[in-house]
Amino acid sequence: MAHPPIPVEPVDESGLAEKYSAWIGFVEKSHHGSNPRVNDGDAFTPLRTPLAESRVALVTTAGAHLVDQEPFHVETVAGDPTYRLLPDDLDVADLRFTHTHYDTATATEDPNCVFPIDRLHELVDRGRVGSASGVHIGMMGFNPDPSPIQDVLAPRVAGILADAEVDVAIMVPG
Amino acid sequence: MCHRSVGLVQGTVEASGIPTVSVSMRPDVTFGVKVPRAAYVRFPHGNPFGEPNRPDQQHLVFEALLQLLESAEGPTFVELPFRWRRWGKWL
Repeated sequence: MAHPPIPVEPVDESGLAEKYSAWIGFVEKSHHGSNPRVNDGDAFTPLRTPLAESRVALVTTAGAHLVDQEPFHVETVAGDPTYRLLPDDLDVADLRFTHTHYDTATATEDPNCVFPIDRLHELVDRGRVGSASGVHIGMMGFNPDPSPIQDVLAPRVAGILADAEVDVAIMVPG
Repeated sequence: MCHRSVGLVQGTVEASGIPTVSVSMRPDVTFGVKVPRAAYVRFPHGNPFGEPNRPDQQHLVFEALLQLLESAEGPTFVELPFRWRRWGKWL
């Protein structure tokens, strides 16, 4: 049975441009090598496949990796624009969150707070979505310089998702 | 910066032909980075899908994202109707 519509409102965008400008100004002042890169803003790909037939991937910048993978580098202000492949059949108990710019306590207690892999599998079981991608992607979002994110990491992630024949990506910050 | 990083990856993935939707706890950053679909939720950093061990709440957020994927006909930024009650304070 379809879930009833969840009531949402358009975000009140008044003041957001000013807040963003203040934030980006602070980041540029505080971190050498930063710059104000953003998206073009016109990219929009309509949902072509019904969700019940779609393969869904989770992509998070919450610092998610497996216990036997190299943790993200968080000891310097340089950031770490790398990624970790998270197989869909991972053991949730093996997930770790290496990120020093948010409190990872709740994610450590229940990884679904930032990486809702169990919820995704339940949605597949219910038929709400078609399947889960064979791989999901963990990244660490603290990167003062956005250039390697946009120039190297993002195209690589897009390529991994394409190779995995993903129809929809759920993007999650930490 | 998590929001900028995830937004930049989101923009590229969307441009590559894969529909995307993101959660946001920083509407100013998400607004500034410009993403195709995002849902702002008034939860603290580290809890975009809600409280730990609350699969009911986590499913509500997930369902809202799926509904946004189904309904958006162009770049869309909405606020979800959920509030944070853990720790005895509301955000």
